Amino acid sequence: MNIIKKYGTLIGFLSIIIFFTINLPTTFLTANNLINISQQISMLAVVAFTMTIVMVMNDFDLSVGSMASLSGIVAAVLFSMGYPIWIGIIAALLVGIIGGLFNGFLVSIIGILPFVATLGTLTMFSGFAFLVSGGKTIFGRDIPTEFSSFARSGLEITSLDIKIPFLSILALFILLIVWFILEQTIYGRRLYAIGGNAEASFLAGIKVKQLRLSAFALTGLGAAIAGLMYSSRVASSNPTQGSGLMLEAIAAVFLGMTMSEEGEPRVLFTLLGVLILGVLDNGLTQMNVDSYIREILIGFIVILAVAFSSITKRRN
Amino acid sequence: MQKLELLNLSKSFSGFKALSDVNIELLSGETHALMGENGAGKTTLIKVLAGILKPDQMMMKIDSNIQKVNSAIDSKNLGFNFIHQELNIVSYLSVAENMFLSHPYPMRYCALINWNKIYKLSKNALKELDITHINVEDKCSSLSTGDQMLVKIASCLIKTEISPTLYVFDEPTAALTIQESEKLFKVISNLKKKNAIILYVSHRMNEILEISDRVTVLRDGLKVLTEESSKLSKEKIIRSMVGKDLSDNFPKKTGKLNNKVIIDVSNGHTKSIKNINFKINEGEVLGITGLANSGQKEIFNMLMGIDNLVKGKLNFLNKIYKPNGPKDAWGKLISFVPRERRRDALILKMSVKLNTTLPHYGKLSKFFFLTNKNKENNITNDLSKKVQLKYKNNNQSIYQLSGGNQQKVVFGRALASNPKLLLLDEPTRGVDVGAKLDIYKLIRELAQNGCGIILNSTDLSEIIGMSDRILVLKNHEQFNIVENLDVTTQDLLSNFYEEKNI
Repeated sequence: MNIIKKYGTLIGFLSIIIFFTINLPTTFLTANNLINISQQISMLAVVAFTMTIVMVMNDFDLSVGSMASLSGIVAAVLFSMGYPIWIGIIAALLVGIIGGLFNGFLVSIIGILPFVATLGTLTMFSGFAFLVSGGKTIFGRDIPTEFSSFARSGLEITSLDIKIPFLSILALFILLIVWFILEQTIYGRRLYAIGGNAEASFLAGIKVKQLRLSAFALTGLGAAIAGLMYSSRVASSNPTQGSGLMLEAIAAVFLGMTMSEEGEPRVLFTLLGVLILGVLDNGLTQMNVDSYIREILIGFIVILAVAFSSITKRRN
Repeated sequence: MQKLELLNLSKSFSGFKALSDVNIELLSGETHALMGENGAGKTTLIKVLAGILKPDQMMMKIDSNIQKVNSAIDSKNLGFNFIHQELNIVSYLSVAENMFLSHPYPMRYCALINWNKIYKLSKNALKELDITHINVEDKCSSLSTGDQMLVKIASCLIKTEISPTLYVFDEPTAALTIQESEKLFKVISNLKKKNAIILYVSHRMNEILEISDRVTVLRDGLKVLTEESSKLSKEKIIRSMVGKDLSDNFPKKTGKLNNKVIIDVSNGHTKSIKNINFKINEGEVLGITGLANSGQKEIFNMLMGIDNLVKGKLNFLNKIYKPNGPKDAWGKLISFVPRERRRDALILKMSVKLNTTLPHYGKLSKFFFLTNKNKENNITNDLSKKVQLKYKNNNQSIYQLSGGNQQKVVFGRALASNPKLLLLDEPTRGVDVGAKLDIYKLIRELAQNGCGIILNSTDLSEIIGMSDRILVLKNHEQFNIVENLDVTTQDLLSNFYEEKNI
C-alpha cells in the first residue's frame, strides 16, 4: 500500500509505456519516436516547468497560454517589419516578463486572487495578440529562415545515427535552471516557505510580496519562451497558438504533485507529469484513437491520478 | 425544568487534564457566573454543554433524569443556547432573516416564503424581552454590536416546540459599551423571569457581583468554589481563582547587568495602541500582561514594523529605530516568537532544519544565493542541543514533533542570530510542564548574556516569576508599569479589573 501511495503515478506511467509498447511493437519504443515525443512536448514542458514556480507558492497563472501567443506574435510582427532576429526575441521575452510582473502586481500588491487576476490578463494578453497581428497569422517570407530553422535542427549524434532537436535541448536546459532555482537557491527555499505558510514566512522576515511578484515574472518569461519555440517550429505565428498550453501545464504540475511526499510541486515531478501527457497523446494518436476520445481519456487519467493521490493522502 | 446537574465531569487532552471530576448544579431562574483564569477549564465546560467536545466522563441530569449530549443537535434539542462574543450575524441580511437563520422559514403554498409571518414572529420574540427599539426589517449591518447580540438572544425564543432552558453567555460584554451592557442585563433579567438558567462567563468582576446569583470558580480543571454572590467579595473570588503562588518553580535571577539600554519606547502610538512607554536594559525581562486582547499583540506588531508608529519614538541601541516590516527587525537582531505556533511560526510541511533556519536563509547562504547544507545542518544541530530538542534528525517533518518540541524549534530559530532583543508572545502556551521549565531556563540564560526580553503572557504566575518589570495593558493603552518586587497575582488581577472612573 505504501509503495502504491508513493510511486502510484510512476507505476501508472510505466504501465502506460508497457501498454503502448505491446500495442505498437514496431513504432512506439523506437529512438525516432521517443525523440519525436521529446520535441512534441518541449513547449508544454517549458510552460509547465515555469508554472511550477508559482504553484510552489500555492498560486497559479492562467494567462500563460495567451502570453505564449502574444510573445510569438510580437516577435513575428517585428520580423515582418524587418528588425533583426535578436531584437524580435528580446522584445518577446520582455513582453513575457512585463506581463508576468503585471500578474504578480495584481496578485501580490493589489491582492486579487490569482484565479481572477490571471483570468483577466488571459483575456487581455489574447486581445493584445489579436490587436498587434490584426487577427492574422504571420507566416511565409515574414518569418526569417534562420529563426524557423532552429526548431528543425538539432544535435547530431552520428555514432547512433540520431538527431536530438534543439527544442528538446532547450526544454531540458530550462528544466535544469528551474530545478536549480527551486532546489538549490535560498530564493526557491523561500518560495516553498511561502507556499507552506505565508503568514509565518512574513513574520520570519521573508519579503513575501516581492518574491511573489518576481515568481510571476519568471512564469511569464517561461510562457514567452514557449511562444517563441512554437513560432519557430511551425515557422509562423498566430494569435491563438498557445491556447491549449495553460490547462495541460497545470494538469502536468498536478500530476507531478501526486508524487511528492507532502503534495508540494517539484519540478522533476512536473517533468514526469509532462511525459505522461506527451506519451499518452503520442501513443493514442498512433493507435488511431479519435482525437475527441483522446481528450476524454487524458482528462480522465489526470483526474484519476489526482483523486487517487488525495484519497490515499487523506487516509494518511 | 427545575435544575440541571453535571456530575463527575472530566475531560483531558493528550494527558493534560482540562477538567477533572467537576460537579455543577444550575437552577432554573438563576444567573450562575462561571469564573477562572485562562486555561482553568471554562471553555472546555461550555463546549461539553454544546455537544462539541465529548467528555471522558460525565453524567448529566435534568430534574434527576439522565440526559445525553453527544452532538450539537442533542444540545439544541435540550434547549441549550450559546451566545458568544463572535455573533455569527450575517450583516447583509435583515434582523428577521438573521433571527430565522437556524429555524425553518414559514412558507405559503409550500413554495413562497411567508414574509409577514417571519416579521411578526421576529417582532414577537423581541417583544417578549421588552426590546422595542429594533426594527426587524432593518439590515443587521446597521445595528450596533449590542443590538446584534440582543437579536441573537431573541432568536432563541423563535422556535416554539423547544423552549430555551439554558443560555450560556461567553464574555458577552467584552465588545459592548456601558449603555449596551445595561440593556443586556435587563434582557438577562427578563430571561430569568422565564425560568431559564443563565450561565454567565466573564472576567469583569463588578458585573459578576452585580448580576449573578451564584458563582462557581474553576482552577486548573478543578471546581474550587460555588457560593452565593451575596456572600462573596472581589478579593475572595480572585484568591480562589489564583490559588497558591507558583512562582517557586521559576529559575532564579542571578546578578544584575549594566544599564545599557536596549530599547526605549517613548509615547508609542500606532493605529491600535496608545501611550506606550518603557525602557529595557541589557539582561532585563519586561513582562506584559492584561486581559485578553488589550493590545499585547499590537505592541509586538509595533516592534516588528508591522504596524507603523503614528506618534512617539522608538530607540534601539541608541539609534532611531524605524522598522519597515519583520525583515528589518530580524536584520537588526530582534527575534520574535509569535503566539500561534502553527499559524504564525511554523511551516508544518517543512523539516526541523528548514523551520529552524527560516529567518536566516540569507545569512546561511553561499555566495548570497546558494543554499549551504553544511552550515544549515551545523547550526540546526547546535541550536537543537541548546534548546534540548527531542527529535530524530534535521530532516524530520516538524508536524511529527509534540507541541513543546515544536515550540523549542521556534525558540531555536529566535536564538540563531544571537538576538539583542527577544519578543515572546505567550511562549509557553500549550506546552507541557517539562518543556515549560526548559523554556524558562533558556529565557534566564539569554537575559544573563545581555539580551533584552519582552514576555507577554496571560499566565500571571509566569509573568511574576520571570519579569523584572511588569507592564499592564488595558483597552489598548498602557495602564501601569511596575517593578516586580513583591507583586502578587492578586495585585495584577485587581489592576485588570479596576475600572477607570467613567
